Amino acid sequence: MNWRRIRAIIQKFWYSTRRDIFRLFDIFFWPVIELFIWGIFSVFLSKSQVDGVNLVTMLLGGIVLWSFFTRASKDISLAMIDELWSRNFINLFSTPVTMAEYVVGALIVGFMKLIVSMILMFLLAYVFYGFHISSIGFYIIPSALGITVFGWTLSMVVQACFLRYGHTIEVFIWAVAALVQPFSCIFYPLSALPGWAQTIARMLPTTYFFENMRSMMTGRGIHVGEIVLAYGLNLLYLLLAIVFLNRSFEHARKNGNLVKNN
Amino acid sequence: MEWWFSMEVLFMQDILVVDHLLKRFGGFTAVDGISFAVKKGEIVGLLGPNGAGKTTTIFMLLDFVAPTSGDIEIFGLHYKTHRGEILQRLNYSSTYVEMVPRLTVWENLLVMANLYLIQNPKEKIWETVHRFGVAEFVNKRYEDLSQGQKTRVFLCKAFLNDPDLLLLDEPTASLDPDVAALIRKEILIAREHGMTILITSHNMAEVEEVCDRVLFINHGIIVAEDTPEELAKKVRQIRVNFMMKDGQKRTMSFARTSGFPATADGRFVTISVDEADIAYLLSGMAELGVEYGEISIDKPTLEDYFIKMSHVGGRT
Repeated sequence: MNWRRIRAIIQKFWYSTRRDIFRLFDIFFWPVIELFIWGIFSVFLSKSQVDGVNLVTMLLGGIVLWSFFTRASKDISLAMIDELWSRNFINLFSTPVTMAEYVVGALIVGFMKLIVSMILMFLLAYVFYGFHISSIGFYIIPSALGITVFGWTLSMVVQACFLRYGHTIEVFIWAVAALVQPFSCIFYPLSALPGWAQTIARMLPTTYFFENMRSMMTGRGIHVGEIVLAYGLNLLYLLLAIVFLNRSFEHARKNGNLVKNN
Repeated sequence: MEWWFSMEVLFMQDILVVDHLLKRFGGFTAVDGISFAVKKGEIVGLLGPNGAGKTTTIFMLLDFVAPTSGDIEIFGLHYKTHRGEILQRLNYSSTYVEMVPRLTVWENLLVMANLYLIQNPKEKIWETVHRFGVAEFVNKRYEDLSQGQKTRVFLCKAFLNDPDLLLLDEPTASLDPDVAALIRKEILIAREHGMTILITSHNMAEVEEVCDRVLFINHGIIVAEDTPEELAKKVRQIRVNFMMKDGQKRTMSFARTSGFPATADGRFVTISVDEADIAYLLSGMAELGVEYGEISIDKPTLEDYFIKMSHVGGRT
């Protein structure tokens, strides 16, 4: 063991961390997110009138639906980054394939993976915790679809950022779900959030899907208007993400990022 | 016959036309307003030292990098309106890119064949893998191949769609000499079938063998454009090698006082002189009464030109 060499290793990590804002994420972002989510959840529990059985069902329903989002939010960005990691990007895009064809292909693969892992998840939730899909009912279809589309939208945004800013943005692929999670009201109602956070939450389609899931599970039914609003927001964000991705692709062509990142 | 050939070339269709192509990255100018055209069936070498602007030019020709200004016309079409049509008739191979490592060679080529919408893809892949000696490791994973094998697989990919224009970036780097010779043979056969090829290479012998014309690029500008033979002739410095019998010290002293660079290795002396000074050198040595057993003259090659031009930035 040579302390000078160990110091050199520490130096190397220090240099790379202080120059990379996204590595600082690991230090500051995750602890704050954890504190935020579980803090609000604890406050909700202490004030909640919901009985134990319903609470578990709501938590499991939230976890199952949220997994649609975490999966979808990585679909496009991970597929594209895999091309870059394997240095296959130039090879691929020197063929007549278009970005739109690539994205659609990646989404179809993502969707198939999603279905397989969802079946597995529902089975395991039923076997281990007695959670039955019927507790969500047909609501599973519009909510899962809406949540998945929002995941894809954010995946496109991350990909667009990657094209603009290069490899330093990679950490966002995994962080994006956690970034949206506290404001999506997965485990607690919108009213449990502080005022400023409620404003952000109302702008997210996911909030309305989880709010309605709880509403349905507690026998209060679904607010169709909120579901329509959620789909409207989804459509708006999806269109903006497509425009942003296209512009970022052009930006990457201009500044050479497209080949620099390969 | 030669007259007819040059007339034929003159009236051949331009496959690629590059007009005042400029690329700036911030304050750095990578390509500084170059213009050139490549005719159907021509093999043109794009040469230059590292950082000269070759790769940026190739990437602009592939639409990966957007030009700051200037125009690229391929098959008479522009990327802005006909990207799909252009890339369908074009292919590219480089030592510096890879295929999907976890896939086998066959799987990688099948994906590529489908991206190019090739009719009967399996037959076409078999034909190509046999042509480039890849058939024996077609079921191996790409990541398990040697660099030479990977280069051959990439060439299979490059010929899969029978492109009208082929961009080859260092096509024989990392290959054994016999395989490199096979590749050069295939390049010449492809030209006979009307394929147009733009090639970058650091192997000057290869460029001399396959290229009809060479564009020499340095600091982002084309500093010379001619046949490999004519470019080599522009280097007037030749090397005269002697196997000395007597008078080695006098020869070295004579070379020094005459201003000719000279090196000695055992009984062998090499003197670099301008073509016009050979007679002066030989008569001077005769006057000194030196004796040599053998004499040979190394004529300038494209490599000499490359070395000379890599150290200057001006136009010729």
